[in-house]
Amino acid sequence: MDKSHALRRTFKRKEFSLIIVLILVVIFFGILTHGKFFKPLNIRNILNAMVIVTFLTIGEGMLIIYGNIDLSAGTVGTLSAIVMAHSVMTFGLPWWVGILMAVCMGLITGCISATLITRLHFQPFIATLAMKSVCEGLADVFGNASAIKIENKALSWIGNFKFANNVIPVAVIIALLFMLIYGIILAKTKFGRMIYLCGGNRQAAFLTGINPVKMCYVLFMNMGALAALAGCMLAARVSSATVTGVNSNQFSGVTAAILGGISFGGGSGGMIGAFIGLLLLNVFNNGMTLIGLDPYWQTVASGVLLLVALIIDYYNTRGTGKRS
Amino acid sequence: MERYLEVNNISKSFPGVKALQNISFRAESGTVTALLGENGAGKSTLLKVLSGVLKPDEGTVVISGKEVKVQDTHSAFEAGISIIYQERQLIPMMSVAENIFLDDSPEKKFGFVDRRTLRAETQKLLDKFQLPFGPDELVGRLPVAYQQMVEIMKAYRRDADIIAFDEPTAPLTEKEIRILFSIIEELKQQGKVILYVSHRMNEIFEITDRIVIFKDGQMVDVVNTAETTEAALIRAMVGRDIGDTYNKLDRNTVIGEVILEAKGLTNDVISDVSFQLHRGEVLGFAGLVGAGRTETVRAVFGADRITSGEILIHGEPVKITSPKEAIASRIALCPEDRKEQGLILKQTIRSNISMPVLSKIKNGLLLSRKKEKALADEAVEKYDIRTPSIDKIAGELSGGNQQKVILGRWTSSLIDMDILILDEPTKGIDVGAKSEIYQTICNLAKEGKGVILISSELTEVINLSDRIIVMHNGHVTGTMTREEATEENVLALAMQD
Repeated sequence: MDKSHALRRTFKRKEFSLIIVLILVVIFFGILTHGKFFKPLNIRNILNAMVIVTFLTIGEGMLIIYGNIDLSAGTVGTLSAIVMAHSVMTFGLPWWVGILMAVCMGLITGCISATLITRLHFQPFIATLAMKSVCEGLADVFGNASAIKIENKALSWIGNFKFANNVIPVAVIIALLFMLIYGIILAKTKFGRMIYLCGGNRQAAFLTGINPVKMCYVLFMNMGALAALAGCMLAARVSSATVTGVNSNQFSGVTAAILGGISFGGGSGGMIGAFIGLLLLNVFNNGMTLIGLDPYWQTVASGVLLLVALIIDYYNTRGTGKRS
Repeated sequence: MERYLEVNNISKSFPGVKALQNISFRAESGTVTALLGENGAGKSTLLKVLSGVLKPDEGTVVISGKEVKVQDTHSAFEAGISIIYQERQLIPMMSVAENIFLDDSPEKKFGFVDRRTLRAETQKLLDKFQLPFGPDELVGRLPVAYQQMVEIMKAYRRDADIIAFDEPTAPLTEKEIRILFSIIEELKQQGKVILYVSHRMNEIFEITDRIVIFKDGQMVDVVNTAETTEAALIRAMVGRDIGDTYNKLDRNTVIGEVILEAKGLTNDVISDVSFQLHRGEVLGFAGLVGAGRTETVRAVFGADRITSGEILIHGEPVKITSPKEAIASRIALCPEDRKEQGLILKQTIRSNISMPVLSKIKNGLLLSRKKEKALADEAVEKYDIRTPSIDKIAGELSGGNQQKVILGRWTSSLIDMDILILDEPTKGIDVGAKSEIYQTICNLAKEGKGVILISSELTEVINLSDRIIVMHNGHVTGTMTREEATEENVLALAMQD
């Protein structure tokens, strides 16, 4: 009896309907491109395109479950990549110290955002919008408004080496590993559970001994660190840290999380969903390019996709508890 | 034509509660009619029906011979009803003048607001009410008492036939109360129908002409103010059958040593609150809404700061600055609002129960579903939570079962608290589930726990508690045993001025 209940729940889960949607989209583009879509090279392209956004999706997904959002992730990533490039190229530090410096940069910006939100009670939207500008400006200043060339074997290997006959990129494996580890943290650990509890009802969480303020700091700093890694991955791939870096990927992270069923109301969704959302987003983008859709119309289509996800989210959350 | 307000057979039910049952009375022009009753007796519900916030299930409202259908707040204005609520309905970022003329500002051509007239009219009102601030002052910057006066001016300006005041004097000083009363006197002279809700007996005797007494959603009596006494009113408010519910309870009889002592707890709401809680004791906190009971227990639990005072557990002074520290001192709080503060409605019963003990259901780094299931099963078993599965969403449970989930959270083999604070545990719960919760409270005491019980239902708090602390306005105004306590003497302490 308990089993059939669990089974019914599985079918009702958002992830289940998402997989159906993903399969339909894949079949749709498969037919429309006469199978070109399924070629190994194209699948590699899709996975490769996911790498940068994966890091952002993990961080944003966790923040949205907690009930906040970080609009500065993109520019934090850009700024951090420039910090790494300077560390390695200007100061001649080892590549891994460079990445460490970038991560520190991300931790600092995350800490500032969390302070603005928890101590000064700024809306997360406003606080991180300001941080976005600050980081964008700093990236310009330190990057001398152009790009810093990176010549480093290790970084180039991380960014471009491909295993198995030039098919599976290192970067993809790293990104998927992160997704897996964070997925386990979110679903299976005390820390992960506390994110859901805070997002579901902060007062109730507080009254059972959880410290939502501390959680806020951890999650924003985590977001900053992940954004920094996204920045470093991109810089490693293109062998330079540019002043626009991952800026344009800012909203892809949020979009993938929302597509994956992480509700803006907080307290629901999960990493499996976010991963499917990420796949969906990239399959969609890739498919549109393959069929030769005008790039401007691609942007419109992406927007419509997000709207559809939000509408589904609205009907799913309506009636099941309150939206905050 | 004579003005009057007639309420005929108004009834209103909420799930599990009959908030109003067949209320009928008539209020005449040029008189002040008091609505009197305990918390939850139905006064505020009636005002909400009159103002169109709530729709009655049955009954009619007749104003001066014409039946009015109050659909919403706007149609209430049209019908000539103006209600001044306890919670002020002002816009803090707008000026006094803009707030007073919110719904119909004087206009110039093309719909522009005529600021000059707006300010002049407001100034006239301010002079009349003898208030020391200007029309351009932002409402949000005024002290609470003045905000209340702005609210009253708003209703006065509308020139409504029926004006209802919901505890208007609560935030006012003596001088402001005098001004308000002279205004009410003037409204009487103008032949308005005035309804006046207050807990303050001396005010009721000073300005009202007739008194409608409410109890448990029913109207128990209508008397002329000149022909009654304070004692008679209190008797009418509380006199009800206690029933067998309390006699049947299997109570704890062994009361042990002091396990919690609060000394002089003070913050911006409560002042100098001291009490002792013994092992095996149910300690009740009685008082009106806003008396500071919830604030007291939140301070004990570390959810609110205290500016001075001391908490001792088993005789040892402890510093509690967060719920986490309180929990470590084996204190648990079941908060007053189950849905807003107690449960995570979107989450399952399972994860609502495991909230405070996540560290204890781990296997290495990961949470163990097996241990969590065992914990939830234990609570379901112990409190007889009626649910098909522990994976049911907490928001889908009935009020009584939700309360049991919260109790189950704090009393299990993994976490066993010495001190349980229950803030309004039976609020919005149907009668059957209530008596289950009553027995649960007695059982907790029998297990040797100290239980603090806050309830706005007087019979409940008096009949369940071994001792009752009465609070008023942030102070403790009395302590008595169950044998000493009567609804009359508790209410007298809770309502004193």
